Amino acid sequence: MEQIKNCIIDYLKANSFMDKDTPLEDSDSLTQNGIIDSIGLLELIDFISEKYSIEIPEDMLTPENFDTLQGISGMIHKLVK
Amino acid sequence: MRIDAYITEYARKTPLNIALEEGKNSISYSCLEKDISDISLLLMDFKHCRFAILAESGIQYVKLLMAVYRSENIAIPLPIEFPKFSLEQILDSAHINNIITTDTQYSRYGESFFERFGTVVVVSGDTSVKILRKDIKAETNIPELRLVLYTSGTTGTPKGVMLSDKNLVANGESIIEVLNINSKDKGALVISPHHAFGNSIIDSHLMAGGSIRIGNMNFMNSVFNLIGSGVSIFYGVPSTYRMLLRYPDRFREAFSTVRTAASAGGGMDKAIVKEIRELAPGLGILPMYGQTEATARLAYVPAEDVDRFIDTIGKAIPGVTLEVFDSEHRPVEPNITGELVAGGENLLLGYLDDEIATENKIINGWLYTGDLARKLPNGYIQLLGRKDDLIKIGDHRVNPREIEKHIEENNRVSRVFVVPVPHEFMGTAISLMVIPTEETEIENLFAFCRKSLPGYLCPREILFIDHLPLSENGKISNRSIIEEYKHVKDSV
Repeated sequence: MEQIKNCIIDYLKANSFMDKDTPLEDSDSLTQNGIIDSIGLLELIDFISEKYSIEIPEDMLTPENFDTLQGISGMIHKLVK
Repeated sequence: MRIDAYITEYARKTPLNIALEEGKNSISYSCLEKDISDISLLLMDFKHCRFAILAESGIQYVKLLMAVYRSENIAIPLPIEFPKFSLEQILDSAHINNIITTDTQYSRYGESFFERFGTVVVVSGDTSVKILRKDIKAETNIPELRLVLYTSGTTGTPKGVMLSDKNLVANGESIIEVLNINSKDKGALVISPHHAFGNSIIDSHLMAGGSIRIGNMNFMNSVFNLIGSGVSIFYGVPSTYRMLLRYPDRFREAFSTVRTAASAGGGMDKAIVKEIRELAPGLGILPMYGQTEATARLAYVPAEDVDRFIDTIGKAIPGVTLEVFDSEHRPVEPNITGELVAGGENLLLGYLDDEIATENKIINGWLYTGDLARKLPNGYIQLLGRKDDLIKIGDHRVNPREIEKHIEENNRVSRVFVVPVPHEFMGTAISLMVIPTEETEIENLFAFCRKSLPGYLCPREILFIDHLPLSENGKISNRSIIEEYKHVKDSV
Protein backbone atom coordinates (compact mmCIF):
# COMPACT_ATOMS: atom_id res chain seq x y z
CA MET A 1 0.00 0.00 0.00
CA GLU A 2 2.77 2.40 1.03
CA GLN A 3 4.58 1.75 -2.24
CA ILE A 4 1.45 2.45 -4.30
CA LYS A 5 0.88 5.68 -2.38
CA ASN A 6 4.42 6.94 -3.00
CA CYS A 7 4.10 6.17 -6.68
CA ILE A 8 0.90 8.28 -6.86
CA ILE A 9 2.55 11.12 -4.93
CA ASP A 10 5.47 11.10 -7.39
CA TYR A 11 3.04 11.17 -10.30
CA LEU A 12 1.10 14.09 -8.79
CA LYS A 13 4.26 16.05 -8.10
CA ALA A 14 5.37 15.64 -11.70
CA ASN A 15 2.00 16.13 -13.39
CA SER A 16 -0.27 18.32 -11.32
CA PHE A 17 -0.53 21.66 -9.60
CA MET A 18 1.04 20.12 -6.50
CA ASP A 19 4.10 21.97 -5.23
CA LYS A 20 7.15 19.92 -4.36
CA ASP A 21 6.79 20.79 -0.68
CA THR A 22 3.00 20.76 -0.29
CA PRO A 23 2.19 18.65 2.73
CA LEU A 24 -0.54 16.22 1.73
CA GLU A 25 -2.39 14.10 4.24
CA ASP A 26 -3.78 10.74 3.16
CA SER A 27 -7.33 11.97 3.53
CA ASP A 28 -6.97 15.46 2.01
CA SER A 29 -9.24 16.15 -0.96
CA LEU A 30 -7.20 16.40 -4.15
CA THR A 31 -9.89 18.30 -6.05
CA GLN A 32 -10.86 20.74 -3.29
CA ASN A 33 -7.23 21.59 -2.64
CA GLY A 34 -6.72 22.38 -6.30
CA ILE A 35 -4.14 19.61 -6.76
CA ILE A 36 -5.93 18.00 -9.66
CA ASP A 37 -8.79 18.91 -12.01
CA SER A 38 -11.15 16.86 -14.14
CA ILE A 39 -8.80 16.44 -17.10
CA GLY A 40 -5.91 15.67 -14.73
CA LEU A 41 -8.04 12.94 -13.16
CA LEU A 42 -8.67 11.28 -16.52
CA GLU A 43 -4.93 11.30 -17.19
CA LEU A 44 -4.29 9.83 -13.74
CA ILE A 45 -6.78 7.05 -14.53
CA ASP A 46 -4.84 6.26 -17.74
CA PHE A 47 -1.56 6.27 -15.82
CA ILE A 48 -2.87 3.92 -13.13
CA SER A 49 -4.48 1.55 -15.64
CA GLU A 50 -1.23 1.23 -17.56
CA LYS A 51 1.15 1.14 -14.61
CA TYR A 52 -0.75 -1.54 -12.70
CA SER A 53 -2.27 -3.26 -15.76
CA ILE A 54 -5.76 -2.94 -14.38
CA GLU A 55 -9.07 -1.90 -15.83
CA ILE A 56 -11.01 0.50 -13.65
CA PRO A 57 -14.76 -0.02 -14.06
CA GLU A 58 -16.73 3.20 -14.68
CA ASP A 59 -18.83 2.84 -11.56
CA MET A 60 -15.63 3.09 -9.52
CA LEU A 61 -14.90 6.61 -10.81
CA THR A 62 -16.21 8.22 -7.63
CA PRO A 63 -14.87 10.65 -5.02
CA GLU A 64 -14.44 7.77 -2.56
CA ASN A 65 -11.96 6.10 -4.93
CA PHE A 66 -10.28 9.11 -6.52
CA ASP A 67 -10.37 12.21 -4.33
CA THR A 68 -7.75 11.19 -1.73
CA LEU A 69 -4.42 9.38 -1.66
CA GLN A 70 -6.01 6.87 0.68
CA GLY A 71 -8.92 6.24 -1.70
CA ILE A 72 -6.68 5.86 -4.76
CA SER A 73 -4.18 3.48 -3.17
CA GLY A 74 -6.99 1.44 -1.59
CA MET A 75 -8.75 1.15 -4.94
CA ILE A 76 -5.57 0.08 -6.77
CA HIS A 77 -4.77 -2.43 -4.03
CA LYS A 78 -8.24 -3.97 -4.37
CA LEU A 79 -8.13 -4.15 -8.18
CA VAL A 80 -4.59 -5.56 -8.38
CA LYS A 81 -5.61 -8.42 -6.12
CA MET B 1 -34.97 44.11 -13.11
CA ARG B 2 -32.23 42.36 -11.12
CA ILE B 3 -31.67 38.63 -11.48
CA ASP B 4 -32.47 38.00 -7.80
CA ALA B 5 -35.88 39.67 -8.27
CA TYR B 6 -36.92 36.70 -10.43
CA ILE B 7 -36.28 34.45 -7.42
CA THR B 8 -38.52 36.67 -5.28
CA GLU B 9 -41.23 36.41 -7.91
CA TYR B 10 -41.06 32.59 -8.18
CA ALA B 11 -40.89 32.31 -4.38
CA ARG B 12 -44.33 33.90 -4.42
CA LYS B 13 -45.80 32.13 -7.46
CA THR B 14 -44.28 28.65 -7.12
CA PRO B 15 -42.73 28.57 -3.64
CA LEU B 16 -42.33 24.80 -3.46
CA ASN B 17 -40.69 24.34 -6.86
CA ILE B 18 -37.07 23.25 -6.63
CA ALA B 19 -34.59 25.95 -7.67
CA LEU B 20 -31.22 24.29 -7.05
CA GLU B 21 -29.95 20.75 -6.46
CA GLU B 22 -26.51 19.60 -5.40
CA GLY B 23 -25.67 16.03 -4.40
CA LYS B 24 -28.40 14.90 -2.01
CA ASN B 25 -29.44 18.49 -1.23
CA SER B 26 -32.02 20.63 -2.91
CA ILE B 27 -33.62 23.98 -2.16
CA SER B 28 -37.01 25.39 -3.13
CA TYR B 29 -37.60 28.90 -4.44
CA SER B 30 -39.12 30.01 -1.12
CA CYS B 31 -36.21 28.70 0.98
CA LEU B 32 -33.67 30.13 -1.48
CA GLU B 33 -35.40 33.50 -1.27
CA LYS B 34 -35.27 33.44 2.54
CA ASP B 35 -31.56 32.51 2.63
CA ILE B 36 -30.63 35.22 0.12
CA SER B 37 -32.54 37.82 2.18
CA ASP B 38 -30.85 36.69 5.40
CA ILE B 39 -27.32 36.92 3.98
CA SER B 40 -28.01 40.19 2.15
CA LEU B 41 -29.17 41.89 5.39
CA LEU B 42 -25.57 41.78 6.58
CA LEU B 43 -24.38 43.61 3.46
CA MET B 44 -27.03 46.32 3.40
CA ASP B 45 -24.89 49.06 4.97
CA PHE B 46 -22.41 48.84 2.09
CA LYS B 47 -23.40 51.23 -0.69
CA HIS B 48 -22.63 49.83 -4.14
CA CYS B 49 -19.27 48.38 -3.11
CA ARG B 50 -17.10 45.74 -4.77
CA PHE B 51 -17.38 42.30 -3.18
CA ALA B 52 -15.08 39.48 -4.21
CA ILE B 53 -16.81 36.11 -3.93
CA LEU B 54 -14.47 33.20 -3.23
CA ALA B 55 -16.61 30.07 -3.21
CA GLU B 56 -16.60 26.64 -4.78
CA SER B 57 -19.40 25.83 -7.23
CA GLY B 58 -22.61 24.85 -5.46
CA ILE B 59 -25.87 26.05 -3.93
CA GLN B 60 -23.88 28.21 -1.51
CA TYR B 61 -22.19 30.07 -4.37
CA VAL B 62 -25.53 30.99 -5.95
CA LYS B 63 -26.82 32.28 -2.59
CA LEU B 64 -23.76 34.49 -2.08
CA LEU B 65 -23.95 35.88 -5.62
CA MET B 66 -27.65 36.69 -5.27
CA ALA B 67 -27.15 38.18 -1.80
CA VAL B 68 -24.58 40.61 -3.20
CA TYR B 69 -27.06 41.52 -5.95
CA ARG B 70 -29.90 41.88 -3.42
CA SER B 71 -27.89 44.29 -1.26
CA GLU B 72 -27.21 46.37 -4.41
CA ASN B 73 -23.49 45.77 -4.24
CA ILE B 74 -21.13 44.58 -6.98
CA ALA B 75 -20.24 40.90 -7.28
CA ILE B 76 -16.76 39.87 -8.40
CA PRO B 77 -16.62 36.05 -8.48
CA LEU B 78 -13.05 34.77 -8.28
CA PRO B 79 -12.27 31.84 -10.58
CA ILE B 80 -11.02 29.41 -7.95
CA GLU B 81 -9.46 27.11 -10.52
CA PHE B 82 -6.85 29.79 -11.27
CA PRO B 83 -3.52 29.43 -9.45
CA LYS B 84 -3.20 31.56 -6.33
CA PHE B 85 -0.85 34.07 -7.97
CA SER B 86 -3.40 34.80 -10.76
CA LEU B 87 -6.04 35.49 -8.12
CA GLU B 88 -3.63 37.81 -6.34
CA GLN B 89 -2.96 39.54 -9.67
CA ILE B 90 -6.70 40.08 -10.13
CA LEU B 91 -7.12 41.34 -6.56
CA ASP B 92 -4.20 43.73 -6.84
CA SER B 93 -5.55 45.34 -10.00
CA ALA B 94 -9.25 45.35 -9.08
CA HIS B 95 -9.03 47.34 -5.81
CA ILE B 96 -11.44 45.14 -3.90
CA ASN B 97 -11.85 45.98 -0.21
CA ASN B 98 -14.47 43.36 0.65
CA ILE B 99 -14.64 39.59 0.33
CA ILE B 100 -17.31 37.04 1.06
CA THR B 101 -16.15 33.44 1.19
CA THR B 102 -17.08 29.94 2.36
CA ASP B 103 -15.39 28.30 5.33
CA THR B 104 -13.93 25.69 2.93
CA GLN B 105 -12.12 28.36 0.90
CA TYR B 106 -11.17 30.31 4.02
CA SER B 107 -9.26 27.37 5.42
CA ARG B 108 -7.83 26.46 1.99
CA TYR B 109 -6.36 29.90 1.29
CA GLY B 110 -5.44 30.62 4.91
CA GLU B 111 -5.68 33.71 7.07
CA SER B 112 -2.78 35.59 5.47
CA PHE B 113 -4.49 35.60 2.05
CA PHE B 114 -7.39 37.55 3.55
CA GLU B 115 -5.25 40.21 5.22
CA ARG B 116 -5.52 42.50 2.21
CA PHE B 117 -9.28 42.94 2.72
CA GLY B 118 -10.95 45.49 4.99
CA THR B 119 -14.10 43.38 5.18
CA VAL B 120 -14.08 39.58 5.44
CA VAL B 121 -17.36 37.65 5.64
CA VAL B 122 -17.25 33.85 6.04
CA VAL B 123 -20.35 31.75 5.41
CA SER B 124 -20.69 28.19 6.63
CA GLY B 125 -23.56 25.71 6.69
CA ASP B 126 -26.71 27.11 5.13
CA THR B 127 -26.71 30.75 6.21
CA SER B 128 -24.51 30.90 9.28
CA VAL B 129 -22.50 34.04 8.62
CA LYS B 130 -19.43 35.21 10.50
CA ILE B 131 -18.14 38.74 9.95
CA LEU B 132 -14.43 38.59 10.74
CA ARG B 133 -13.82 42.26 9.96
CA LYS B 134 -15.92 45.08 8.65
CA ASP B 135 -14.57 48.30 7.17
CA ILE B 136 -17.02 50.18 4.97
CA LYS B 137 -15.15 52.38 2.53
CA ALA B 138 -16.88 54.69 0.06
CA GLU B 139 -16.27 53.64 -3.55
CA THR B 140 -16.88 55.30 -6.88
CA ASN B 141 -18.25 52.85 -9.39
CA ILE B 142 -20.27 53.10 -12.59
CA PRO B 143 -23.88 53.28 -11.32
CA GLU B 144 -25.11 50.38 -13.50
CA LEU B 145 -22.27 48.03 -12.50
CA ARG B 146 -23.55 44.80 -10.93
CA LEU B 147 -21.14 42.00 -11.84
CA VAL B 148 -17.51 41.70 -12.90
CA LEU B 149 -16.61 38.48 -14.73
CA TYR B 150 -13.09 37.49 -15.56
CA THR B 151 -12.22 36.15 -18.98
CA SER B 152 -10.13 33.02 -18.95
CA GLY B 153 -7.31 35.07 -20.39
CA THR B 154 -6.50 34.32 -24.03
CA THR B 155 -4.22 37.35 -23.89
CA GLY B 156 -2.34 36.78 -20.67
CA THR B 157 -3.59 38.91 -17.78
CA PRO B 158 -7.25 38.26 -17.07
CA LYS B 159 -9.51 41.24 -17.76
CA GLY B 160 -12.52 42.13 -15.60
CA VAL B 161 -15.64 42.54 -17.73
CA MET B 162 -18.18 44.93 -16.18
CA LEU B 163 -21.82 43.93 -16.61
CA SER B 164 -25.10 45.55 -15.61
CA ASP B 165 -28.48 44.14 -14.52
CA LYS B 166 -29.76 45.04 -17.98
CA ASN B 167 -26.93 43.04 -19.62
CA LEU B 168 -27.66 39.97 -17.52
CA VAL B 169 -31.43 40.06 -18.07
CA ALA B 170 -31.16 40.78 -21.82
CA ASN B 171 -28.79 37.86 -22.43
CA GLY B 172 -30.80 35.60 -20.12
CA GLU B 173 -33.97 36.32 -22.10
CA SER B 174 -32.26 35.60 -25.43
CA ILE B 175 -30.89 32.29 -24.13
CA ILE B 176 -34.30 31.28 -22.74
CA GLU B 177 -35.79 31.87 -26.19
CA VAL B 178 -33.12 29.96 -28.12
CA LEU B 179 -33.17 26.96 -25.78
CA ASN B 180 -36.89 27.20 -25.08
CA ILE B 181 -36.25 26.96 -21.32
CA ASN B 182 -39.31 26.72 -19.08
CA SER B 183 -40.12 26.05 -15.42
CA LYS B 184 -40.15 22.28 -16.04
CA ASP B 185 -36.55 22.28 -17.27
CA LYS B 186 -33.63 21.11 -15.20
CA GLY B 187 -30.26 22.39 -16.42
CA ALA B 188 -26.95 20.72 -15.56
CA LEU B 189 -24.20 23.03 -14.32
CA VAL B 190 -20.96 21.03 -14.31
CA ILE B 191 -18.66 23.79 -15.56
CA SER B 192 -17.31 26.70 -13.53
CA PRO B 193 -20.06 29.16 -12.48
CA HIS B 194 -17.44 31.91 -12.09
CA HIS B 195 -17.13 32.55 -15.83
CA ALA B 196 -19.66 33.79 -18.38
CA PHE B 197 -20.95 30.42 -19.63
CA GLY B 198 -21.66 28.96 -16.19
CA ASN B 199 -23.10 32.24 -14.97
CA SER B 200 -25.53 32.33 -17.91
CA ILE B 201 -26.83 28.86 -17.02
CA ILE B 202 -27.69 30.08 -13.52
CA ASP B 203 -29.36 33.26 -14.79
CA SER B 204 -31.41 31.74 -17.59
CA HIS B 205 -32.80 28.81 -15.58
CA LEU B 206 -33.68 30.92 -12.54
CA MET B 207 -35.28 33.57 -14.78
CA ALA B 208 -37.45 30.82 -16.30
CA GLY B 209 -38.43 29.47 -12.87
CA GLY B 210 -36.78 26.13 -13.63
CA SER B 211 -34.12 24.27 -11.71
CA ILE B 212 -30.39 23.69 -11.92
CA ARG B 213 -28.51 20.59 -10.86
CA ILE B 214 -25.01 21.61 -9.78
CA GLY B 215 -22.02 19.27 -9.90
CA ASN B 216 -18.60 19.07 -11.50
CA MET B 217 -16.71 17.01 -14.04
CA ASN B 218 -14.26 15.43 -11.60
CA PHE B 219 -15.71 11.98 -11.05
CA MET B 220 -17.24 10.45 -14.14
CA ASN B 221 -19.55 8.07 -12.33
CA SER B 222 -21.02 11.01 -10.41
CA VAL B 223 -21.34 13.09 -13.60
CA PHE B 224 -23.27 10.38 -15.45
CA ASN B 225 -25.54 9.88 -12.43
CA LEU B 226 -26.16 13.63 -12.39
CA ILE B 227 -27.07 13.69 -16.09
CA GLY B 228 -29.38 10.70 -15.71
CA SER B 229 -31.20 12.26 -12.74
CA GLY B 230 -33.81 14.04 -14.86
CA VAL B 231 -31.64 16.75 -16.40
CA SER B 232 -33.34 18.11 -19.52
CA ILE B 233 -30.62 20.48 -20.76
CA PHE B 234 -26.93 19.66 -20.44
CA TYR B 235 -24.29 22.33 -20.95
CA GLY B 236 -20.63 21.75 -21.70
CA VAL B 237 -17.59 23.10 -23.49
CA PRO B 238 -16.23 20.84 -26.26
CA SER B 239 -13.76 19.19 -23.88
CA THR B 240 -16.64 18.33 -21.54
CA TYR B 241 -18.20 16.31 -24.36
CA ARG B 242 -14.88 14.70 -25.31
CA MET B 243 -14.45 13.53 -21.72
CA LEU B 244 -17.98 12.12 -21.53
CA LEU B 245 -17.63 10.37 -24.89
CA ARG B 246 -14.77 8.31 -23.51
CA TYR B 247 -17.48 6.24 -21.84
CA PRO B 248 -19.91 5.52 -24.71
CA ASP B 249 -22.16 3.08 -22.85
CA ARG B 250 -22.68 5.40 -19.94
CA PHE B 251 -23.17 8.31 -22.36
CA ARG B 252 -25.93 6.46 -24.22
CA GLU B 253 -27.73 5.56 -21.00
CA ALA B 254 -27.39 8.93 -19.25
CA PHE B 255 -28.36 11.08 -22.24
CA SER B 256 -31.38 8.98 -23.21
CA THR B 257 -33.61 11.27 -21.12
CA VAL B 258 -31.89 14.60 -21.93
CA ARG B 259 -33.63 16.97 -24.37
CA THR B 260 -30.78 19.25 -25.43
CA ALA B 261 -26.98 19.18 -25.29
CA ALA B 262 -25.81 22.78 -25.51
CA SER B 263 -22.22 23.87 -25.97
CA ALA B 264 -20.17 27.05 -25.93
CA GLY B 265 -16.64 28.13 -25.17
CA GLY B 266 -15.12 26.72 -28.36
CA GLY B 267 -16.24 25.16 -31.61
CA MET B 268 -17.80 21.70 -31.60
CA ASP B 269 -16.14 19.67 -34.30
CA LYS B 270 -17.73 17.19 -36.69
CA ALA B 271 -16.27 14.21 -34.84
CA ILE B 272 -17.94 15.13 -31.54
CA VAL B 273 -21.30 15.74 -33.22
CA LYS B 274 -21.09 12.44 -35.11
CA GLU B 275 -20.34 10.46 -31.96
CA ILE B 276 -23.14 12.14 -30.01
CA ARG B 277 -25.58 11.46 -32.87
CA GLU B 278 -24.69 7.77 -32.88
CA LEU B 279 -25.08 7.35 -29.13
CA ALA B 280 -28.08 9.61 -28.56
CA PRO B 281 -30.10 9.94 -31.78
CA GLY B 282 -32.98 11.80 -30.11
CA LEU B 283 -30.80 14.41 -28.44
CA GLY B 284 -30.88 17.97 -29.80
CA ILE B 285 -27.41 19.46 -30.23
CA LEU B 286 -27.16 23.22 -29.85
CA PRO B 287 -23.73 24.81 -30.38
CA MET B 288 -23.52 28.42 -29.21
CA TYR B 289 -20.90 31.10 -29.57
CA GLY B 290 -20.23 34.00 -27.28
CA GLN B 291 -17.85 36.13 -25.30
CA THR B 292 -17.71 37.31 -21.71
CA GLU B 293 -17.84 40.83 -23.17
CA ALA B 294 -21.31 40.01 -24.51
CA THR B 295 -22.43 38.78 -21.05
CA ALA B 296 -22.32 35.27 -22.47
CA ARG B 297 -23.94 34.36 -25.79
CA LEU B 298 -24.01 35.97 -29.23
CA ALA B 299 -24.90 33.28 -31.76
CA TYR B 300 -26.20 29.73 -32.15
CA VAL B 301 -26.55 27.05 -34.77
CA PRO B 302 -30.24 26.04 -35.02
CA ALA B 303 -30.74 22.33 -34.26
CA GLU B 304 -31.89 21.49 -37.81
CA ASP B 305 -28.70 22.96 -39.30
CA VAL B 306 -26.14 21.40 -36.98
CA ASP B 307 -25.07 18.66 -39.38
CA ARG B 308 -24.64 20.96 -42.37
CA PHE B 309 -23.28 24.05 -40.64
CA ILE B 310 -21.24 22.77 -37.70
CA ASP B 311 -18.21 24.66 -39.04
CA THR B 312 -20.08 27.96 -38.57
CA ILE B 313 -21.37 29.78 -35.49
CA GLY B 314 -24.79 30.03 -37.14
CA LYS B 315 -26.78 33.21 -36.64
CA ALA B 316 -27.31 35.87 -33.98
CA ILE B 317 -29.46 35.07 -30.95
CA PRO B 318 -32.61 37.20 -30.57
CA GLY B 319 -31.78 40.75 -29.51
CA VAL B 320 -28.29 40.65 -31.03
CA THR B 321 -27.06 41.96 -34.39
CA LEU B 322 -23.91 40.49 -35.94
CA GLU B 323 -21.98 42.11 -38.76
CA VAL B 324 -18.62 41.63 -40.44
CA PHE B 325 -16.65 44.89 -40.75
CA ASP B 326 -13.51 45.83 -42.66
CA SER B 327 -10.65 47.80 -41.10
CA GLU B 328 -12.49 51.06 -41.90
CA HIS B 329 -15.49 49.96 -39.76
CA ARG B 330 -17.65 49.33 -42.84
CA PRO B 331 -19.77 46.20 -43.43
CA VAL B 332 -18.34 43.84 -46.05
CA GLU B 333 -20.11 41.65 -48.61
CA PRO B 334 -20.76 37.94 -47.97
CA ASN B 335 -17.69 35.71 -48.33
CA ILE B 336 -15.30 38.58 -47.63
CA THR B 337 -13.19 38.22 -44.49
CA GLY B 338 -13.37 40.93 -41.85
CA GLU B 339 -13.80 41.31 -38.11
CA LEU B 340 -16.96 40.08 -36.42
CA VAL B 341 -18.77 42.86 -34.54
CA ALA B 342 -21.88 42.68 -32.39
CA GLY B 343 -24.60 45.01 -31.21
CA GLY B 344 -27.28 44.48 -28.54
CA GLU B 345 -28.27 45.10 -24.94
CA ASN B 346 -25.88 42.43 -23.72
CA LEU B 347 -22.68 44.36 -24.51
CA LEU B 348 -20.39 45.06 -21.57
CA LEU B 349 -20.22 48.41 -19.77
CA GLY B 350 -16.45 48.22 -20.17
CA TYR B 351 -13.37 46.65 -18.61
CA LEU B 352 -12.87 47.26 -14.91
CA ASP B 353 -10.54 50.23 -14.36
CA ASP B 354 -9.23 50.03 -17.93
CA GLU B 355 -10.55 52.79 -20.16
CA ILE B 356 -8.07 52.22 -22.96
CA ALA B 357 -8.99 48.56 -23.37
CA THR B 358 -12.67 49.57 -23.26
CA GLU B 359 -12.22 52.16 -26.04
CA ASN B 360 -10.55 49.57 -28.24
CA LYS B 361 -13.28 47.02 -27.65
CA ILE B 362 -16.42 49.12 -28.15
CA ILE B 363 -16.35 51.48 -31.14
CA ASN B 364 -19.47 53.43 -32.16
CA GLY B 365 -21.61 51.12 -30.05
CA TRP B 366 -20.29 47.94 -31.70
CA LEU B 367 -18.42 45.25 -29.81
CA TYR B 368 -15.30 44.25 -31.74
CA THR B 369 -14.98 40.53 -31.02
CA GLY B 370 -11.41 40.15 -32.27
CA ASP B 371 -12.59 37.15 -34.31
CA LEU B 372 -12.00 37.10 -38.04
CA ALA B 373 -15.14 36.00 -39.85
CA ARG B 374 -17.08 35.91 -43.06
CA LYS B 375 -20.76 35.80 -43.76
CA LEU B 376 -21.99 32.90 -45.87
CA PRO B 377 -24.62 33.59 -48.54
CA ASN B 378 -27.35 32.23 -46.18
CA GLY B 379 -26.32 34.74 -43.50
CA TYR B 380 -24.58 32.25 -41.23
CA ILE B 381 -21.19 33.28 -39.94
CA GLN B 382 -17.99 31.34 -40.20
CA LEU B 383 -15.06 32.13 -37.91
CA LEU B 384 -11.56 32.22 -39.38
CA GLY B 385 -9.30 32.59 -36.35
CA ARG B 386 -8.35 35.43 -34.04
CA LYS B 387 -7.40 38.83 -35.40
CA ASP B 388 -4.51 38.92 -32.90
CA ASP B 389 -3.23 35.69 -34.41
CA LEU B 390 -2.56 37.21 -37.84
CA ILE B 391 1.16 36.98 -38.52
CA LYS B 392 3.13 39.55 -40.44
CA ILE B 393 5.59 37.78 -42.72
CA GLY B 394 7.65 40.26 -44.68
CA ASP B 395 4.90 42.63 -45.76
CA HIS B 396 2.21 39.96 -45.93
CA ARG B 397 -0.50 39.58 -43.30
CA VAL B 398 -1.14 35.89 -42.97
CA ASN B 399 -3.86 33.98 -41.15
CA PRO B 400 -2.17 30.88 -39.69
CA ARG B 401 -5.52 29.07 -39.23
CA GLU B 402 -6.14 29.24 -43.00
CA ILE B 403 -2.71 27.83 -43.80
CA GLU B 404 -3.27 25.01 -41.34
CA LYS B 405 -6.60 24.17 -42.94
CA HIS B 406 -5.14 24.22 -46.43
CA ILE B 407 -2.33 21.84 -45.48
CA GLU B 408 -4.64 19.54 -43.50
CA GLU B 409 -7.11 19.23 -46.36
CA ASN B 410 -4.49 18.30 -48.92
CA ASN B 411 -2.17 15.98 -47.02
CA ARG B 412 -2.25 12.80 -44.99
CA VAL B 413 -1.99 14.35 -41.56
CA SER B 414 -4.14 14.50 -38.46
CA ARG B 415 -3.54 18.12 -37.43
CA VAL B 416 -1.23 20.95 -38.47
CA PHE B 417 -0.18 23.97 -36.40
CA VAL B 418 1.63 26.98 -37.78
CA VAL B 419 4.31 28.38 -35.46
CA PRO B 420 5.60 31.91 -36.04
CA VAL B 421 9.41 31.83 -35.70
CA PRO B 422 11.95 34.67 -35.96
CA HIS B 423 13.53 35.19 -39.38
CA GLU B 424 16.58 37.25 -40.24
CA PHE B 425 15.06 39.05 -43.22
CA MET B 426 11.29 38.68 -43.08
CA GLY B 427 11.05 39.33 -39.36
CA THR B 428 8.88 36.29 -38.98
CA ALA B 429 8.68 33.00 -40.82
CA ILE B 430 6.73 29.86 -40.07
CA SER B 431 7.50 26.38 -38.85
CA LEU B 432 4.98 23.57 -38.63
CA MET B 433 4.08 21.25 -35.82
CA VAL B 434 2.20 18.25 -37.13
CA ILE B 435 0.21 15.51 -35.44
CA PRO B 436 0.96 12.72 -37.92
CA THR B 437 -1.09 9.74 -39.06
CA GLU B 438 0.62 6.48 -39.92
CA GLU B 439 0.99 7.67 -43.50
CA THR B 440 2.51 11.08 -42.83
CA GLU B 441 5.92 11.72 -44.36
CA ILE B 442 7.92 14.86 -43.75
CA GLU B 443 9.32 14.94 -47.30
CA ASN B 444 5.84 14.92 -48.82
CA LEU B 445 4.75 17.77 -46.58
CA PHE B 446 7.76 19.86 -47.51
CA ALA B 447 7.14 19.10 -51.18
CA PHE B 448 3.49 20.13 -50.89
CA CYS B 449 4.36 23.40 -49.17
CA ARG B 450 7.04 24.27 -51.70
CA LYS B 451 4.67 23.58 -54.56
CA SER B 452 1.42 25.05 -53.33
CA LEU B 453 2.34 27.88 -50.96
CA PRO B 454 4.12 31.13 -51.72
CA GLY B 455 7.84 31.01 -50.91
CA TYR B 456 7.59 33.13 -47.77
CA LEU B 457 5.19 30.55 -46.31
CA CYS B 458 7.47 27.59 -46.85
CA PRO B 459 8.09 26.12 -43.38
CA ARG B 460 11.59 26.38 -41.90
CA GLU B 461 11.10 23.07 -40.12
CA ILE B 462 8.43 20.46 -39.53
CA LEU B 463 8.15 18.81 -36.12
CA PHE B 464 5.95 15.88 -35.19
CA ILE B 465 3.99 16.17 -31.94
CA ASP B 466 1.45 13.89 -30.33
CA HIS B 467 -1.18 16.15 -28.81
CA LEU B 468 -3.07 19.44 -29.24
CA PRO B 469 -1.48 22.64 -27.94
CA LEU B 470 -4.59 24.02 -26.18
CA SER B 471 -4.73 27.17 -24.11
CA GLU B 472 -6.32 27.30 -20.63
CA ASN B 473 -9.79 27.75 -22.03
CA GLY B 474 -9.37 24.86 -24.46
CA LYS B 475 -8.95 26.95 -27.59
CA ILE B 476 -6.12 26.87 -30.09
CA SER B 477 -4.25 30.16 -30.29
CA ASN B 478 -0.85 31.34 -31.40
CA ARG B 479 0.10 31.65 -27.76
CA SER B 480 -0.73 28.02 -26.94
CA ILE B 481 1.05 26.87 -30.11
CA ILE B 482 4.19 28.87 -29.35
CA GLU B 483 4.23 27.52 -25.79
CA GLU B 484 3.98 23.95 -27.08
CA TYR B 485 6.70 24.65 -29.64
CA LYS B 486 9.08 25.89 -26.95
CA HIS B 487 8.25 22.86 -24.88
CA VAL B 488 8.98 20.51 -27.80
CA LYS B 489 12.25 22.30 -28.62
CA ASP B 490 13.36 22.21 -24.98
CA SER B 491 12.80 18.48 -24.75
CA VAL B 492 14.73 17.67 -27.94
